[in-house]
Amino acid sequence: MGFVIATVQNQTMNIELTSVLLIGAVMFVCGVVCMATKRNAVGILIGAELVLNASNLNFVAFAYYTPFGIDGQAFALFGIVLPAAEAAIALAIILNFYNNHMTVDVDRADELKQ
Amino acid sequence: MNSAGPNIYLEAWLLPLLSFVFLVLGGKRWGKTGAYVATGAIVCSFLLSCWGLFTYTQEFSPDFFQERHGEETPRPLKPEDIVLPPGLAATSVGGAVQNTGPEIQYRPGDNRPNAQSPTVQIGEHGRWSQSFKWIGIGAESIRMGLYVDSLTVIMFFMITLIASLIHIFSIGYMHEELHDPVHDPLAVPAGQPPLHRKGRFPRFFTYLSLFCFSMLGLVLADNLFLVFMFWELVGLCSYLLIGFYYERQSASNAANKAFITNRVGDAGFIVGLMIVWTSLGSFNIQDLIHTVRDFSGHMVRKDTNSDKLLEWNQHKSAWLPADDSHESSAEAHYAPGDVQLFDIKTGQPHTSTTITYLLLTVAGIGVFIGCVGKSAQFPLHVWLPDAMEGPTPVSALIHAATMVAAGVYLVGRFYAFFTPDALLVIAYTGGITLFIAGTIAVVMTDIKKVLAYSTVSQLGYMMLGLGVGGWAAGLFHLLTHAFFKALLFLGSGSVIHGTGTQEMPQMGGLWRLNKMPITAVTMLIGVLAICGIPLFSGYYSKDAIVADALYFWHGDGSAGSGHPQHILLFLLPTAGAAITAFYMFRLFFLTFAGEPRDHHVDEHAHESTAVMWVPLAVLAVFSVIVGYEYSQESHTPLLTRMLLFSKPHTILPHPPDAIHHQAGYYALAAVLSGIGMSVLFYGAPVFWIWFLKYFRVLNPGEVARQFPRLHDFLLHKWYFDELYERILIRPTLAIAQFCRSFDWNVLDAFIDGTARVTLWWSRLDGWFDFRVIDGLVNLTSDWVYATGDWLRRFQTGQIRQYVMFLAVGAIGLFAVISFLGADVLRNLLVK
Repeated sequence: MGFVIATVQNQTMNIELTSVLLIGAVMFVCGVVCMATKRNAVGILIGAELVLNASNLNFVAFAYYTPFGIDGQAFALFGIVLPAAEAAIALAIILNFYNNHMTVDVDRADELKQ
Repeated sequence: MNSAGPNIYLEAWLLPLLSFVFLVLGGKRWGKTGAYVATGAIVCSFLLSCWGLFTYTQEFSPDFFQERHGEETPRPLKPEDIVLPPGLAATSVGGAVQNTGPEIQYRPGDNRPNAQSPTVQIGEHGRWSQSFKWIGIGAESIRMGLYVDSLTVIMFFMITLIASLIHIFSIGYMHEELHDPVHDPLAVPAGQPPLHRKGRFPRFFTYLSLFCFSMLGLVLADNLFLVFMFWELVGLCSYLLIGFYYERQSASNAANKAFITNRVGDAGFIVGLMIVWTSLGSFNIQDLIHTVRDFSGHMVRKDTNSDKLLEWNQHKSAWLPADDSHESSAEAHYAPGDVQLFDIKTGQPHTSTTITYLLLTVAGIGVFIGCVGKSAQFPLHVWLPDAMEGPTPVSALIHAATMVAAGVYLVGRFYAFFTPDALLVIAYTGGITLFIAGTIAVVMTDIKKVLAYSTVSQLGYMMLGLGVGGWAAGLFHLLTHAFFKALLFLGSGSVIHGTGTQEMPQMGGLWRLNKMPITAVTMLIGVLAICGIPLFSGYYSKDAIVADALYFWHGDGSAGSGHPQHILLFLLPTAGAAITAFYMFRLFFLTFAGEPRDHHVDEHAHESTAVMWVPLAVLAVFSVIVGYEYSQESHTPLLTRMLLFSKPHTILPHPPDAIHHQAGYYALAAVLSGIGMSVLFYGAPVFWIWFLKYFRVLNPGEVARQFPRLHDFLLHKWYFDELYERILIRPTLAIAQFCRSFDWNVLDAFIDGTARVTLWWSRLDGWFDFRVIDGLVNLTSDWVYATGDWLRRFQTGQIRQYVMFLAVGAIGLFAVISFLGADVLRNLLVK
């Protein structure tokens, strides 16, 4: 994305928003599919990261075409930092789950429904 | 000028109250001591009243020890008769005491210019009065006070003396009540074992003390309102003591009968009180009397047809034109028929209030109806014979000597207030009463019933005497009667105590020395006194009444005097004297003479103890001596002279000596014929065998069989009870029944109906609440529950499934928005 900002005066028409959104959408769908299909908790975490990064991409892309300054970029930064913390917590949960059940299969983790 | 007199009487009056309070508080524990407390209190009262009598005679230069011939020419008011209160007294009549207390007195007719104005009272010889403001009603006030004149002094002496003796007698007579338990065979139906109950010895004396206090208060009171209060208090005591053996149905009935009958009389009394208060604005007896009479004691009224002022002439018994002294500027103020009222301060006719002659008569008769109830006069006499259910000392004290005489006393006290027509009503009531009661007494067999009817009859004598103008005679008879009737009742009490029966046919022969000689002798004295045998007190008083009656009927022989149309008022007392003599000797013969008729009763008979016969003896002595003159110059009995010392503010007729002698002969002839008849009927066993052989032609039983209807008529007491049952009790009960059925069938039915409707409505309401309101609420909750239950199925805990929902939901949302168009979403968001 860096080069897009650097060539903003000349190459605006070269890289269209649609392309960026398409990449985001593909990433998003990949993430969702990953979350919906993986039974491994770590796999699901990875899918979630994909989904989040797809949204970060969208934030940055839209920010370019809107008159709100660097708001989109700021959101994207949050979108990077918070999943990092989230991942730390999730990994801790997964580790504990593994300690208790000797597995990381999410289908076995349904105690919260009670 | 202060005198000890009022304080003596105040203390003598309050002592029985003190004893009553002590007995009420601690009497139950004291037993016999209670009786000594009560007796001590009343004996102290008696001693104080003796002191009071002494003080009175000392203070008021007792000219009643000399003859006073002032009755025909009443003392005109002189300037010195007007006495100013202490400190303001310019002139003071010797002996007249004004002890008005700290407050200035208000008197009717006084329009109260300012409260500081001195009170001026009409001075009268021989009285103490003391009063204070009691109840203020707006600008008016009711005062409470004592009024002590010679009538009060004598009544007080008589009441305390007789009450003392009867207290002493009761200690012996009521001895049974000290036992615990007491056996009362009369409280249960015949044949059943007697009732066992606690003894009521102290209670008896508690009631007696309260009675003494009330009775003494009644004679001391200076106004009608106070009199009425004590009037009710003595009525209460009478009720309590008649119902002393209240387990006996007859006693409880008799108490109720006495109380209710007296209420009838009291209703009349209250009417009188109301008229007096609204028309004349005062309850003070002396004020009222001096308001309706002029200074010389005449009643003056305006003619109904002309503007003439009329004055009642007792001698000619007619309203005659008043002399010129009554013509005044106030004349125009009065409407025709009004009675002229006098300002008691100045004696001038006063103009602020008026009362018609009719209303004044009605007020007098109203008060008299109260007296009719209390003194058991026709037609309210029915309670007194039944009142004999009480213990005999009570019969002697309350129902013979004192309380029943209160009516006579009040008529005497309030005498000048009664108009001539009211007095005529009083006279006829007395005459009818004395005759009816006398005839009933002839056939009674219960010794106390005979005495009860005799009491009613003698009270009739007194009323008649008062009504025909014999003020002193009526009250004199009250006093002598109190002594000999108390004696007779205590004697009968002694007989009942000794024999255990009240039925005279079961007695007989009790005068034998080993039976009851003292009782017999004292009873004989009482019988002779009540019959009116010369040298016994009853002779003098009854002779005075007959003389007044004769004078009333016949006049002094001059044209226009007397009341020829009222011959009954002379015949009734004369016939009554014969009847009295007959039944009293019948009582004596049946009880004491002849052979014992009931062996069992005779064996039981014994003379009473000293505590019982000593009062008898004392009363016997008084029954003889109270009628004498005690003077060389005078032919008027001492008591009469003392009474006349405070004679009412009115013109009293004074029968000449010739009339007195004539009446004496008539009365004596009647009495002797009565005694003769009695001897013929019942005296046979007494007078030797030859008497039996030649003279015993009359057998009471045969005579009764000869005139069965008359005998039945008398035996049923002239059918008064039956008459009242018919015309009063049954209609009352019928009305009560009707009211009860109305209450039951209409009012209660209505209320029950309301309740039923309410219940029905409540049920409907409950159903609606339960089914509809609660149903709706439950339906909602059920629905929410079902929904939640359905939604629960989607929470599987499968995280991948959730992701699928999320994704599908997002896609669905996206599809919807795409389908509806972006405008819809924008509208939704931008809005």
